[in-house]
Amino acid sequence: MIRIEKLSKTFVVGNRDIHAARQVSFEVHPGEVFGLLGPNGAGKTTVMRMILGLLKPDSGYAEIQGIRSSNQPNELKRQVGFVSATAGIYQWLTGREMLSFFGEAYGLDDNQLTERIGHLTDVLELGEFIDRGCATLSTGQKQRLNLARALVHDPPVMMLDEPTLGLDVVGSQVIFNYIDLLKQKNKIVILCTHRLEQAQRVCSRFGLIYQGKMALTGTLAQLQQQTSKRDLVEIFISLIDSDSPDPLVAEQK
Amino acid sequence: MTEQVEINSESNNSSPQPENKPAGLAPKRPFRISRLMMKELRETLRDRRTIITLVLMPLLVYPALSLVFKTFLLNNLPGLAANDPIAIRIAYSGDLPKEELDEAVQRFGIHVNALQSAESLSATTSDSLQEKENGADAGNPFPGFKSIEGHLWTYIPNEPEGEMSELVATAQGSAADDKRLDVGMFITKTKAEAESKTLLGYQIKLIHRNDALSHTASDYLKYWIRRVNESEARERLKFAGLPFEPTWSTSVDIVGESTESSSPVPLASLVPLVLVLMTITGAVYPAIDLTAGERERGTLETLMAAPIPRFGILFSKFVAVVVVAMLTALLNLIGMFATIWAFQLDKQFGIGIFNLTTMFQILMLLVLFAAFFSAILLVVTSFARSFKEAQVYLIPIILLSLGPGLMAMAPGMELTGFNAVCPMVNILLLARDVINGSVDPTYAWIAVVSTLIYGVIALSLAARLFGSDAILNADANSLKDLILRPKRPQAITPIGAAMFCTLMLVPLNFVAIEWLNRFPSETSADFTNRFILLAISLAVIFVAFPALVAWYQRVDFRSGFGLTIPKPLFAIGGILLGLSLWPIVMWLTTVWHELYGVIAGAEARDAWNDQLVELTKQMAGRIQAVPSWVVLTCLAIAPAVCEEFFFRGMLQRSLLKNVKAWQAIAISAIVFGAFHTISSSVIAVDRFIPTTLVGLILGYVAYKSNSLLPGVLLHAIHNACVSFLAHFQETLVKQSWFPQNETIPWHWVAAGAVAAAIGLALIIAGKRPADQVEPVHRQV
Repeated sequence: MIRIEKLSKTFVVGNRDIHAARQVSFEVHPGEVFGLLGPNGAGKTTVMRMILGLLKPDSGYAEIQGIRSSNQPNELKRQVGFVSATAGIYQWLTGREMLSFFGEAYGLDDNQLTERIGHLTDVLELGEFIDRGCATLSTGQKQRLNLARALVHDPPVMMLDEPTLGLDVVGSQVIFNYIDLLKQKNKIVILCTHRLEQAQRVCSRFGLIYQGKMALTGTLAQLQQQTSKRDLVEIFISLIDSDSPDPLVAEQK
Repeated sequence: MTEQVEINSESNNSSPQPENKPAGLAPKRPFRISRLMMKELRETLRDRRTIITLVLMPLLVYPALSLVFKTFLLNNLPGLAANDPIAIRIAYSGDLPKEELDEAVQRFGIHVNALQSAESLSATTSDSLQEKENGADAGNPFPGFKSIEGHLWTYIPNEPEGEMSELVATAQGSAADDKRLDVGMFITKTKAEAESKTLLGYQIKLIHRNDALSHTASDYLKYWIRRVNESEARERLKFAGLPFEPTWSTSVDIVGESTESSSPVPLASLVPLVLVLMTITGAVYPAIDLTAGERERGTLETLMAAPIPRFGILFSKFVAVVVVAMLTALLNLIGMFATIWAFQLDKQFGIGIFNLTTMFQILMLLVLFAAFFSAILLVVTSFARSFKEAQVYLIPIILLSLGPGLMAMAPGMELTGFNAVCPMVNILLLARDVINGSVDPTYAWIAVVSTLIYGVIALSLAARLFGSDAILNADANSLKDLILRPKRPQAITPIGAAMFCTLMLVPLNFVAIEWLNRFPSETSADFTNRFILLAISLAVIFVAFPALVAWYQRVDFRSGFGLTIPKPLFAIGGILLGLSLWPIVMWLTTVWHELYGVIAGAEARDAWNDQLVELTKQMAGRIQAVPSWVVLTCLAIAPAVCEEFFFRGMLQRSLLKNVKAWQAIAISAIVFGAFHTISSSVIAVDRFIPTTLVGLILGYVAYKSNSLLPGVLLHAIHNACVSFLAHFQETLVKQSWFPQNETIPWHWVAAGAVAAAIGLALIIAGKRPADQVEPVHRQV
């Protein structure tokens, strides 16, 4: 289980305080895909970085299976596979070399590594380009490689920050199908995305974040009930339209 | 995608999961650093930009360079190309009749036997001139001229007006002009002729351009003239029937091994410098690429999300940088020696081929140096957020590193004492000694170990900086922050602005010292003036300038500098420490001297001591010569107020917001100590340790009291004690209050220690008041 408790973070940029996260709390259980949704700059990425321990929260904490970044930063990182929209690739390495490097970083031995790379190559259809230099790959291929990189150590938790950014319909379909798969494999998934239709299909629960605050959380049915709106797109738009939404806190199931 | 679901169920079956624990997660195993290194090496070595510096440099640059060298430089330097005849153009003008000079040249013409008139100059070739070999020429100190077939003499007809300017004009002509002169001789009769008909005298003025050839030609002429005179004197003595044997004769014996080669630049110093520069060239690009480059490619965040300790990541990068640097150095070495061999430059420079042991030792030193410098580079590049930024930071580092490189080339530099622990200088001196075969093993080890220690420190620092959260997340706006004025008031000076002030201390202080040196220091009034000016310069550097920066940054002065009323307890503690620290500091200085004696040898210590005693005497003399109020205001109060304002006020308080308290105190104390070593123009090291220790205490007092005042009291009283001791020295000694021999009596030290302990206890016992202004969030 992943538990986020009142995470707060303020940046000072020039003369402005930017409240990237204000008292954000939620939980995600195995087998759940949690859709962390919100407009650009709402604070989704900041929350993810704090969960991973890449950023120190001003207050609050995040723990995965009872492990906190403040005590066991590397143990926590081992639990998580992280895909970010801005993640780059090493252009002078081949896909296989890059996967091996991260496999090593996560402490896989050679047999495990061969097995995992083989598995991911099949599932994510990396076969045609895995031995090519990364510089020559297309956006879709790069993103699939990045997903494989995050999955190389078979982590119990996946955090995906806009994994389909810049991908075409087919490309993003591959990713969403894989998220479905992760759900079936009893993984914990946190997903940030702007593809609301797919999110509605794949996510079990949602958290709508706006201006650093968790404005709404709950299953689609709960959100519909709270906002009396039909689908995620409408809920999302109503969230941004009402300038300061009441921080409705939905009950956990 | 049904296929995937099938695969999933397969892998699900193969690893059944416990109820609450999610799937997966490979067992934990320590990572293998060699695998991580492989990635870094692959990344750099496949990059064509690395290949350019690695291969193209030695392959193209050295041959091109030596071609240029051979074509242009050698042709302009007489003496280097001993086999080529060089025609130098000499013209003369003035009172000496042509026939007499002709005769002198005929008699003493060392290499020259032809005089040409200006008219025939253009038609002359060196072939038409014959060198006259003369038995007296054996000791010619201008070997470059030895086999020259002929030098060209030009006669400018004797004209009463404008002959001098004509000579000058001809000398200054362009190089292409075949009438351009190398030396002009302007000859005038001296008074000797009027007084004595028998002894004719001529004053010869030589005119030459300011270049190497012209200089040498002029020196040659001076030598020639001396020989004419000598011969003349010999003739006269013979005529008078006197013996020629000089009263004083000299012969020189050189003892000990030679430390300098005969070439103009000592090769033993030059070779290490060249190797070091090559190593730097090789290390710079991979250092940037593997650190700042990770951020630019967007892979840094991914890397930080992996559970590798940062030191592990950085260490593998470090090894890769060192390997590339060493490869570059090796290829350069090969390129250089191949070029030297191919162009036969070794003959010109007298380079012997080194033996294998020396080569190996140099190579090992190069590895050490590459390791040290790569660690330094990684600190800087880990701090940078982009390739561009890293390059901006690296340029001053590389320029700075040339300083020690050139220092090590200076003759008389020895690998002893401070030099043995001075980064870069120690390795370069050691390399020089290795080539010369004169290594002192003790200092060699000190140099090696200290360099290793610096490397490890730098690497740890780099690991801290690399991917730290500020750098991972910040927009590139740190420089903008420094330049743009914030719109909101700030409680504490931003760290960037405080660092800027710290860096500016160096040039400001330099200007201040130079400015002070313009004033005379002869009389006691001069001393008074200079002390007052010193106080003014302190006020400008440490108060006016930081205050201006703080005002611009809208820093609240009360909180930004700690201008608050302290608890009385801290003030009392400060006063006690101020009264009691000076005997301890004096004692520590002597201890440090003894220690220096142990490290550097008694001889070095005594030389240093003498210098120090001299300086202290000079300073004490000045302090005794000025009125007491000057001592009090300019030497006690002004430094205390000004230095505390900056070091404990702006700098330490800014640091406290960014690092741990002890680190902030330590950093500001080291900067304080370092500043005092550069501000005393003569002796540097001896002030560093005692001043830094006082700085630590001042820092702690300022931290605990959260106010500037107790530190100012401490500092002022401390300075007053030391200064008035010097001021009233005579009286004190006369009254036998203070010993003559200037070593501090032990009971003074003991009394000081007890009082200082009490003062310190008061400070420790006091509770630190909270910051009065709400903390501002750390800037990212």
